[in-house]
Amino acid sequence: MTATKAPALSRPVARRPGLAALRLLRLELCHNAMLWIMPVAVALFWFTAARKTLGTPPLWNLRTAAMQPNAVLAFACPVAGAAAWMGSREHRRRTTDLVNITARPRPARLLATWAATTCWALVAYLACVAVVYAVTAQQATWGGPLWWPAAVAAATVPAIAALGFAAGTLVPGRFTAPLVALAAFFVLGLSTQPIHGSQSYWQISPIVAGAWDLGPNPEVGTFFAYQPDLAIAQVVFLAGLTAAVLGALVLPTGAGVRSLRRSALAVTAAGLLAAGTSVALAGTGRLDAHGIIAIPALHDSASDRPLRYTPVCSHTAIPVCLHPAYASYLPATAAALAPMLGQIAGLPGAPARISQVAATYQQGPDNSVSIGVTGSPTSGSSPVFRLLLPIQLLGPALTTSEMAGQVRSITGPSIMASVTGDGPDASQAQHAVTTALLMAAGVVPSHLPGPGNNVPPPGPSAGGGRYVALAPGSPAYAAARRFGALPAAVRRAWLTQHLAALRAGRIGLRQLP
Amino acid sequence: MTTGGTRAASATTAAPTTAAPSAPQLTGSSRAGMRLVWLYATGRRVPAAVIAIAACALGLRIALAGHWDTYGALQLPLVFETAAATAVVATAASPFGEPERLTGRWLPYLRLVTTLALTAAAAGALAAAGAGTHLAGGTLDVLRNVAGITGIGLLCAATISGGLAWIGPAAYLLPGAYALYTQWHHPALTTPWLWPGRPPHDLGAAICAGLVFATGLAVITVRGARDLPGEQD
Repeated sequence: MTATKAPALSRPVARRPGLAALRLLRLELCHNAMLWIMPVAVALFWFTAARKTLGTPPLWNLRTAAMQPNAVLAFACPVAGAAAWMGSREHRRRTTDLVNITARPRPARLLATWAATTCWALVAYLACVAVVYAVTAQQATWGGPLWWPAAVAAATVPAIAALGFAAGTLVPGRFTAPLVALAAFFVLGLSTQPIHGSQSYWQISPIVAGAWDLGPNPEVGTFFAYQPDLAIAQVVFLAGLTAAVLGALVLPTGAGVRSLRRSALAVTAAGLLAAGTSVALAGTGRLDAHGIIAIPALHDSASDRPLRYTPVCSHTAIPVCLHPAYASYLPATAAALAPMLGQIAGLPGAPARISQVAATYQQGPDNSVSIGVTGSPTSGSSPVFRLLLPIQLLGPALTTSEMAGQVRSITGPSIMASVTGDGPDASQAQHAVTTALLMAAGVVPSHLPGPGNNVPPPGPSAGGGRYVALAPGSPAYAAARRFGALPAAVRRAWLTQHLAALRAGRIGLRQLP
Repeated sequence: MTTGGTRAASATTAAPTTAAPSAPQLTGSSRAGMRLVWLYATGRRVPAAVIAIAACALGLRIALAGHWDTYGALQLPLVFETAAATAVVATAASPFGEPERLTGRWLPYLRLVTTLALTAAAAGALAAAGAGTHLAGGTLDVLRNVAGITGIGLLCAATISGGLAWIGPAAYLLPGAYALYTQWHHPALTTPWLWPGRPPHDLGAAICAGLVFATGLAVITVRGARDLPGEQD
């Protein structure tokens, strides 16, 4: 560069402050610690969040709801630490006096550094989200991505960066960055501890993606439209928190410029107001029948409707129909039920179809939630057995084979018992016939609990019959063995003729062939 | 510490290289040694680290008095262990850089003794804080985790920089907590390199943590923390 060109370069800076701000941001982007910490954040996301998220069934709602808290935790430490490190830079390098006399006001410099840190963190986060969503798009059989959970985690990044940056700026020191990084994890990770029930202010924590202790809910976004009530409150809270922290950070430094100070004060007040309001709104949430946290002030009742879908059905003796989002489970479910369905198909009172339905949720005391199906297990003139898959219920994540095992040992006997009218109060003959049909289907005794144990129905209030296991050696067990050993045609003929009487309890053990 | 103060400490740290052969009296030498240790400790913010460790122990004690669910009860000690280990690691950064490295003959010994003492203090303080309470994992767990995570931080101090050495322990916290989580959400992570997820008496985990600590201690003793140009604190 020659001396004659130097004035030409410096001239536009004063006249185009937007360009100067962009140039400052570019410089900050090139010299930001977050750029070097990005690989750490991505590795943490991949090792924990992606691992957990992609381990869930390929349903959009499950994947996105699982990703939100895990992504927030994976990025919390690196982003908070890097922001605090950048905030303490001027103190660390002993350049506070040097930069204070530059043309750019301190608030502009601080905001540029925070913005650069946030930009790199968001780039890393969005890249991670893109990979998870792309993999899910390939695996999911129905539906589309839910963006609100990703938006909540994205809104957390600037908020954490603002808090870390403020801590680094106000209390610079070698202990600040690690302390802030660990505090971010501590506060976020344990922020769910005070949640009791669905009406808790602590649900505003960005690691809460739905009803706490219910876990990711497979119903939302499949049977019913996703309702972003809680997510909206969380995003408003995080945006308000970010604005309040940044406003408060530049507030003292704008002492010399009245308009700047006034603006910072207004931003801080607006941020605090937004954050406080959203916390209050989160406290008014309640668990609705679809298993989502509904906040009355934010709830859109018009979109609170069942989603239309065309079920996918098996070609078994009695068709098993599942929601298309669960299509990948259809072969295993149908295979698990097929032997039992073959025994009852065509009998009077047997279901014409096994159809998966949505669960209903009810908040219990503290954090307990009851899940079930309302109404009768079978419905209509052409009976349909309403099925809840085990993965729709609370409990640990299940593999396809584990789920099929539960369908075989719990759902199948329940379907059989619904045909014979079996249950704890049923007659010995009903117990015997149910057991005989299960024996004929090859289910008893290897896949069922021992004698005396009632096999639970496929979920509380799910309806259906309730198979009662018989003790070997008992008269009912002997009758069951005898009836089960009959040729299939003879057994079917007898059942066709006597099933109504059996269900009414008018047939005793001795009347069984 | 002011710039003048750091220069004084630097000069005093370097002093024994020339003064040691001509030091005639034991009393004077001992006093000089004590002053050397004190100046080294002050320059490395060791008193602040001790306060931070004490705060971690106090925080753990207070937290253990509260009611936590399984997640909280298992992961809580790990957070405080990591915080204490990070406080130890933060003392690795040198505010003097090259001049001190060239002239400070006793530096390796000072680094070794300081790091060992602080690590022992951190483990002891946290174990004491958990005494009489339901501390998940117990004392052995605390000792293993603090040592191992400190080792990670020391390795980061030697390879990345003294100021950014916290990245290692902070980054290890999440996989460590995840390993604990997988103990009741299978498939469990059973690698001994994720020692927080292993039982306190697991030999493999103890060996891994000990190996990392020994390596970190050896590297930081011999080489010291890496200095980033222009970074001071």
